[in-house]
Amino acid sequence: MFEPTPQVDLSSGKYLKLWQGPQHPGITGNMALELTTMGDEIVDCKTHVGYLHRGFEKLMERRTFIQNFPIVCRIAVPEPTFNEYLYAAVVEELTGIESPERAEWIRTLNLELMRLASYLMWLGGIGAAFGQGTVYQWTVTHRDYILDLFEEMTGARVYHMYIVPGGVRGRLPEGFEERCNDVLNRVEKLLFDVEKVLFNNFVFKKRTKGLGVIAPEMVDQYGITGPNQRAAGFVRDLRRDAPYLVYDQLEFDVITATESDAYARSWVRYQEMHQGIRMLRQCLERTPREGPFQARMPNVLHWEVPAGETYVKAECTRGEYGYYMVTDGSEYVRRVHVRGPSYTHAIALMEKLAVGTNIADTAGLMVSLHTYPPEIER
Amino acid sequence: MSTATDLLERFGTNYRISEVNEQKADLTFFKVPKDQAVRLLRELRDDAGYTHLAFLTNIDYIERGIFTLNYMLHNYDTRHTLGMHVDLDRDNAEMESIHNMWAQAATYQRELREMYGIRFPGSPRLDDDFCLEGWDQIPPMRKEFDTAAFSLARFYSRDGRGTEDPREHMKQQLYPTHTDDAPEGGN
Amino acid sequence: MSLKDLISPFYVWQRAFEKPYTQKRPIEDRPGAPRYRGFHMNSEDCIGCGTCESICQNRAIDMVPVEGLEQRPGDSGLRPRFDYGRCCWCALCVDICTTRSLHLSNHYAWVTEDPDAFHFTAGTDPMPWNENSLGYRRDDDYHLLVHDRIEMEMLGPDESVRGFDEVMKGYTEEQAVLEADRCVECGICVATCPAHMSVPDYIRSVRKRDYETGLRLLYETNPFSSTCGRICTHRCETVCVMGYQGDPIAIRFLKRAIVDRVPAERYREILGDDVSDNGRTVGVIGAGPGGMSAAYYLRRLGYGVTVYEAQARAGGMLRYGVPSYRLPDDQLDKDIDYIRSLGVEVRFNTLVGRDVTFQSLLDTHDAVFLAVGLNQPSALRINGEEHPRVLSGLKVLDDVANGLDPGIGRKVAVIGGGNVAMDAARVSRRMGAEVTVLYRRRIEDMPADPDEIHESQAEGCTLVAQAIPVEIKPAASEAQVTIVWGEAEMVADDKGGRPRPVLQEDRMHEETYDCVIAAIGQGGQIDFIPSDYREQIEFKWNKFVPGDYQQTGLAKLFVGGDIANSRADAISAIEDGHHAARGIHRFLGGSADA
Ligand SMILES: Cc1cc2nc3c(=O)[nH]c(=O)nc-3n(C[C@H](O)[C@H](O)[C@H](O)COP(=O)(O)OP(=O)(O)OC[C@H]3O[C@@H](n4cnc5c(N)ncnc54)[C@H](O)[C@@H]3O)c2cc1C
Ligand code: SF4
Repeated sequence: MFEPTPQVDLSSGKYLKLWQGPQHPGITGNMALELTTMGDEIVDCKTHVGYLHRGFEKLMERRTFIQNFPIVCRIAVPEPTFNEYLYAAVVEELTGIESPERAEWIRTLNLELMRLASYLMWLGGIGAAFGQGTVYQWTVTHRDYILDLFEEMTGARVYHMYIVPGGVRGRLPEGFEERCNDVLNRVEKLLFDVEKVLFNNFVFKKRTKGLGVIAPEMVDQYGITGPNQRAAGFVRDLRRDAPYLVYDQLEFDVITATESDAYARSWVRYQEMHQGIRMLRQCLERTPREGPFQARMPNVLHWEVPAGETYVKAECTRGEYGYYMVTDGSEYVRRVHVRGPSYTHAIALMEKLAVGTNIADTAGLMVSLHTYPPEIER
Repeated sequence: MSTATDLLERFGTNYRISEVNEQKADLTFFKVPKDQAVRLLRELRDDAGYTHLAFLTNIDYIERGIFTLNYMLHNYDTRHTLGMHVDLDRDNAEMESIHNMWAQAATYQRELREMYGIRFPGSPRLDDDFCLEGWDQIPPMRKEFDTAAFSLARFYSRDGRGTEDPREHMKQQLYPTHTDDAPEGGN
Repeated sequence: MSLKDLISPFYVWQRAFEKPYTQKRPIEDRPGAPRYRGFHMNSEDCIGCGTCESICQNRAIDMVPVEGLEQRPGDSGLRPRFDYGRCCWCALCVDICTTRSLHLSNHYAWVTEDPDAFHFTAGTDPMPWNENSLGYRRDDDYHLLVHDRIEMEMLGPDESVRGFDEVMKGYTEEQAVLEADRCVECGICVATCPAHMSVPDYIRSVRKRDYETGLRLLYETNPFSSTCGRICTHRCETVCVMGYQGDPIAIRFLKRAIVDRVPAERYREILGDDVSDNGRTVGVIGAGPGGMSAAYYLRRLGYGVTVYEAQARAGGMLRYGVPSYRLPDDQLDKDIDYIRSLGVEVRFNTLVGRDVTFQSLLDTHDAVFLAVGLNQPSALRINGEEHPRVLSGLKVLDDVANGLDPGIGRKVAVIGGGNVAMDAARVSRRMGAEVTVLYRRRIEDMPADPDEIHESQAEGCTLVAQAIPVEIKPAASEAQVTIVWGEAEMVADDKGGRPRPVLQEDRMHEETYDCVIAAIGQGGQIDFIPSDYREQIEFKWNKFVPGDYQQTGLAKLFVGGDIANSRADAISAIEDGHHAARGIHRFLGGSADA
């Protein structure tokens, strides 16, 4: 299973050691690749992380349960909402608090909006990695439209701090549905443009097809989840297999592919964006306008969570995102472990797939795996 | 019959399984002794369908002198998750490596080595830095590592900070003598 | 490669005509969304409770004194100072703010060359966004605190009027823990409690179900905790910060929750009160809460304490005034018996001035503490009040406490609006009488505890406000009496005081009752102090005006309780006793650590 590092003799003059990063075009955040190349072909790849390590899991052990709520969003910068939701869900499970229906709808709306924003950023990334800078500019602009929506809903563009244990922090603003629908229409229109410009682009096709193929048997060996897994033909999606929030009430398709290369993965994500828009439209229509959006909470200043442990997971853009929490009945958590898909996608998987590719493709390959370093380092 | 009871029946005779906790319909935790753990993991993966290692992590029970590893396994067919606990001696924490069973395990083991000081003999690049470059303190995830004390010692604080406790402040201002620690004098 | 794949990308040019999204900052302003979590603002409603500081996970907040801002009961005088080197604009401080004074503005960009400018006191420092009206505020339906008090089981009015059973049932353990959980532990109330009890600490011990620690905390400042847990005037609750958005914490009843769960036999062991005699003695006049509190703290310091009490039982007005449905005798006994168990000697039926002279006390003891209370009912000062069917509230309550029939009849008028009046009224209801309470001012002006007013009404007492008694006249029957009263209009006071009731001579009423119970106040009786001593002591309106540590001009004499303070409640008497004990200890050469 574990591939030993090939024995290369650097003094032979045949090889070159090459460092890429930690400012790396293949990733949102910082991470370095230590490549050993022969010509422009990579014969060995080692990843180096830690540039964004802030010790969140440790910090959380030393803060009260409510104080952790504004911290967790930072564990995945482009996609903070999944952390907010999972932290809330794990605490709710251990305390027996049930967030009301209205909050569950608003949370779903948030998560799907976040997915769309995160995918837009990724779409720009995959375009840029293959020389399509224009796509990047379009998608980042459209992501900003979504951030505008987040700003009016949550009070912040990136670190929303909106999904809180017990529910959400406020009702949807007046007229939100209309503005959100408008943004969805604009994004949808853009997506069709991107399809023409990127997915139907022979350069893009040529460079991504056959790049970084994940064989089906690797999926479980490497713990691969999300679109990376679905592009390898697996019909697995936590929103369908272990529905949380209101996903069991939404209509959507689980997108898969079989080629399992960079193109297939991108195409899966692209279609998931359309599915996301579809789900968002349902959320906008069906989110209750009345009723409580927060469960009755104890005084959070000295909130003691009963002793226990659990694991709660959700399907984020990159795959299985999960919070494992152990409590001991005190006002502080004993242990939180955040399971982010990038942990294996960016390290074990990347180190394996990079071998045999060439230098120019590393960034594109990495983007095609869609990874975020902070969730590796926590 | 639930999955947890199934499992117990199936593996209970060959393994010393204890502390079974059915947290929810699709999640069960249990404990197994260190010397049986990897054998059981292999059996769970190869014969029971728990093919997915979601993560491997550790919990510090400093007051009991133990570390508890948690191997989180998932079975995609039954959609059931198992959390397998293994206790280690905190002062001499060592565990058999599973880098040959799952590709990402080596990374987890490297991290556990760095953050808790747990050794996994044979695990690749085990002693390479993972997140911490040039770290000269004890492994920071161990409970005895005090983050606040560390940053106070390592970094300088902003001038002009300082707070008053409302209750104490009011006491000093409003009723200084009406307490047992009243200042001396003034008979 | 298909032709389409070659042509399709050229579609791009169309987009060149789209309106760019770029914002022309700083040429054009882009205000934050109405909910934006921008810079902090703090309104005048802030009372400096520091809850924002406790929730801030970044330690971005210091509570600091602000020039020109005085601390006063209910306001620490401190204000939150923000360090923007640490803040992450999570707004938890806004969510938790007990007065809702703290907000975030939607102002998010501010440039200055001085990094220390980003360290400021919100609301009082002149920040450019102070007038901002938008920004993050806590949603009305979102709470991180519990605003409603946990209800306590009590006897319904139908049941309660039938006897003298305790009305308030006390919290169950679960209820007490939930109520205690509401406390934010700011400690603002401690200054307002006359005894400065460690309120947040003992509430925490209730939450932790640690009643031993709780009892020790209570006895640091109050040896009448069972009593006060029932009938304290709970001034602390009037400043409780939880009262700003909901109900104040039931501080009084949480005190009771502790003592209710510790049996009397365990007090000594838990409190660890070892008494070793220091060879000196103190005489105490009056076994009310003031006298007994002093006795407790003096005894703990090793003094031999002798209490001289005119009555046959200890407790003062708590025994002979407060009715047993509010304070059962055995609960008062629990407090008093513990004090006596430490070796405090009480000489009952010993009236100072009659059975023993004041001078002899000064001669035999190293110091004397006097807390004789107020037991002389004040006169109504209207014609005819010497009628035999005009009774005093104190007398009625005293008779009931002693198991005697006060002989009130079936139709009763009570005059007054304080706790004595309420007690007299509710006791009369329990004796089967139909009760009307006449009070000069409005109901909201009544000095009685609002709960008392409410419960007396529930029990069927009729409250007539703005009713001024004018004259008492004999009635047709000798067993009855007639009262003449007039309606009053409230007239604003030009000097800024509270509005005065002014009699409306054209709206007079006359009504006949079996008796009229006067309960408009009481005075003290200190004739037993020889006049040459009295000249050395400062008095105001027949009350002592003690100096530091409750000492009088007569150096050996310390005073406290109703006769020496204006608050006239149990907890103030208790604090006076404690404070005097400290003072006596200092006076006799000990340290202040009492
Ligand atoms: C009807 C009523 C209801 C009340 N309700 C409440 C309430 O709900 N909550 C509350 O906090 N407070 C209440 N109070 C007030 C409270 O009872 C008093 O504030 C408190 O008892 C005062 O304590 P003290 O020690 O100063 O005096 P007292 O309690 O009056 O005790 C004085 C003692 O001194 C004795 N004494 C007097 N003269 C002499 C003498 N010459 N020689 C020897 N002994 C003497 C008296 O017999 C008495 O026992 C109430 C009072 C009354 C009358
Ligand atoms: S906004 Fe958050 S970080 Fe800033 S002062 Fe308030 S609680 Fe602290």
